[in-house]
Amino acid sequence: MLFPTFDFAIFFAVAFTVNWLLNPYPTPWKISMTVMSYVFYGWVGWSYCLLLVATSATAHVGAVAITACRTERARRRALIGACAVLLGLLGWFKYYGFVSVNVDNLTHALGLGRAVPLVQVGLPIAISFFTFMAISYVVDVYRRQLEPARPIDVALYLSFFPHLLAGPIVRGHELLPQLRHRRDAYAIDYSRALWLILAGLFKKVVISSYVSTAIVTPVFTAPAQHSAPEALFGAWGYAVQIYCDFSGYTDIAIGLALLLGVRFPINFDAPYTARNLQEFWRRWHMTLSRWLRDYLYIPLGGNSGSEAKTVRNVLITMVLGGLWHGAAWTFVCWGAWHGIGQGVGHLRRRRRVARGLEPVASGPVRIWVQRVATFQFVCLGWVFFNASGMSNAFAVLARLFDGWGRPSPLVTPVLVLVVAGTIASQFVPTLQVARLQAAFSRQRAAVQVGLLSVALLGITTFGPPGVAPFIYYRF
Amino acid sequence: MVQQLESPAGTAENEPRGRAPWVSVLATCVSAFALWLVLFAPTLEHNALVSPVGTRRTVALDVLRPLAAASRVLQISRIVSETDALTGRTGNRLGDGSAPVRGPVRHPRRSPAGSTPTATTPPSIAHPTAADKLRVLIVGDSLGIDVGGPLQNDLTDTGVVSASLDGRESTGLTRPDYFDWPAELEADLQTFDPQVVVVMIGANDAQDFPGPPDVPFGTARWNAMYASRVASFMEIAQSGGARVVWVGMPAMANPTLSAAMTVIDSIDRQQAAARNPPVAYLSTTTLLGTARGGYSAFITDQAGQVVNVRTPDGTHLTAAGGEVVAQAVIGYMRSTWHVALP
Repeated sequence: MLFPTFDFAIFFAVAFTVNWLLNPYPTPWKISMTVMSYVFYGWVGWSYCLLLVATSATAHVGAVAITACRTERARRRALIGACAVLLGLLGWFKYYGFVSVNVDNLTHALGLGRAVPLVQVGLPIAISFFTFMAISYVVDVYRRQLEPARPIDVALYLSFFPHLLAGPIVRGHELLPQLRHRRDAYAIDYSRALWLILAGLFKKVVISSYVSTAIVTPVFTAPAQHSAPEALFGAWGYAVQIYCDFSGYTDIAIGLALLLGVRFPINFDAPYTARNLQEFWRRWHMTLSRWLRDYLYIPLGGNSGSEAKTVRNVLITMVLGGLWHGAAWTFVCWGAWHGIGQGVGHLRRRRRVARGLEPVASGPVRIWVQRVATFQFVCLGWVFFNASGMSNAFAVLARLFDGWGRPSPLVTPVLVLVVAGTIASQFVPTLQVARLQAAFSRQRAAVQVGLLSVALLGITTFGPPGVAPFIYYRF
Repeated sequence: MVQQLESPAGTAENEPRGRAPWVSVLATCVSAFALWLVLFAPTLEHNALVSPVGTRRTVALDVLRPLAAASRVLQISRIVSETDALTGRTGNRLGDGSAPVRGPVRHPRRSPAGSTPTATTPPSIAHPTAADKLRVLIVGDSLGIDVGGPLQNDLTDTGVVSASLDGRESTGLTRPDYFDWPAELEADLQTFDPQVVVVMIGANDAQDFPGPPDVPFGTARWNAMYASRVASFMEIAQSGGARVVWVGMPAMANPTLSAAMTVIDSIDRQQAAARNPPVAYLSTTTLLGTARGGYSAFITDQAGQVVNVRTPDGTHLTAAGGEVVAQAVIGYMRSTWHVALP
């Protein structure tokens, strides 16, 4: 079920009412919210609900088994077993087709014949998100950071519909305690929730859709047809599109959860204001960055070893992070691009510190140069992220160099304004936004109703007819 | 435990905001939604009208008709229509929440339509040059876009072709009330004055014709009506003297949909052969499937490499799949029409 649809509006009205009516009764509340989350997930097809059940069962059994083990060795085995099942499910559904084609072509090229059966496996929506949440839960139990939860708690933790399809990737210690305690039915932070939902809808329905149609899709569909300025705005436009699409989804998810009395971690914090890649990843898809840091980068050794090992760990983490997004060489390249960039940045910072300088040079001009350079580096990576294949990515990049002097009818003043305005909006202090929310909450009910309906009308009027699925639904 | 959730500490979270009981929040949200519903009812009514025939459409229309009528009587709907007029929209607001539209990359018309030859004597297109490019128009639904993107790119890359793509997702010839392809094609012909038109439409057409009375898909009457629409569309495509390639639908992973595509392909093929001059029909069933025309997600190319040609939904084409069909179209133009493409 997509958030910006009529179906979801009706679904949420029912879910909201059930949520608060059953709020005083913990077990019925958990069961009802789990059932509603499965309805939400299975809206377009029930078959994949079985996968969600299997993932929840594996996480629960794994956590219980780890706790029941008496020796560290047995605990470790139980952890490896649970993670193997979870990663096995993810690998089968998400990566089997990609791996089998590449292995098959390799064995064929080596004269070893066709070695791997080719099977196209349907990709269940959101599998990457709930698998990562399940792994984090099992690992946290193994690390004794979390007690095993009841089966219904685990089921609801993994399936809770506001985060189910595209995150945020909420950790057990963030969500499970909230599921155990009653939420305050008389103190809903509704002005912030409604602001987030409307802002998310605006970003997704109006901005992301417009930029996609106006420049990104034409440029990436037929790069040969376009000029260098169009290719440039295609890359910048995609930076705006994916930010508005994904952060829009996250805003809506956080807002919906707030209306249900549940708080999620933030997932975006003005990422295009970052001065380097390390900062970018602290601001972009923050919950994935945290996950990769805590469950991959640090277990690999983090930055505790030599420089070479640190760079290696960064590279492995980012390449696997890229592969998490999709089974394609373009995502591997995107991850490697960021890994190399971060590795180089890490070495530079170490060199500066060794020379007695601050890790990152500061000063008003330098800060802006760093911001612009980081943004351009990120945009180059987005070309691979959005390309349909490696040749498509290189075709877009080639346009940046050889397409000058040609007419650029797609680079219109409105497009320039939208792209620049969206990036500039990330520099607006969050305090100003909070003040607007506070002002809204002080209005009379009738005024609030009027403002909300006008905002909805604006979004639906300026949005395109029909809304594309969120980009991150694919992952 | 949760103090760092949702907002960075020390910023927006510290700003005092009003909080409210859930019943008040529900009342505010439902009231705002109801007001929006009345304001937007005519557009929603239109969207319901053009949605697939069935219970959902009937219920939606029953709910929305009185609201839309009230909106019109109270002149509320003018807010939306005036905004549409102000922003240059047509007012043909399609979609049911799942149907993005990709518009064409339009280029100025190259030559006046009056100079085009008649349909029975297609002009020579054998030797396009950089100065006198071959004008190709590609139109289609979402599968048409899957093929049209690579085809447009490959043709443009030759340096002697000006290719334009008009792709519209979730469209077809069954529901002109949802999207009027004949009118769109006529507009495209006026704009691009193509010498070659490539069509790939049909993936969304296995649905009833809305009545009253509704004409169910799969009946003889449906076949006759669809054949008439395909013939009419081909006639429009050929009206400016352009040569037309009609690309058929491949087999689908869903057996029911695949069987429906066989019906549509059969009608397309018959109508293509019946035209004078004939429309070139290019089948994709073996090109993108098994040797017997069955569904396959993977094919082996001439170099012996396995290529994944279908997306996991079992319907659409991957970029590689689109490229396979694009090359087949270009190959056809080279071999049958003897177009000299570098």
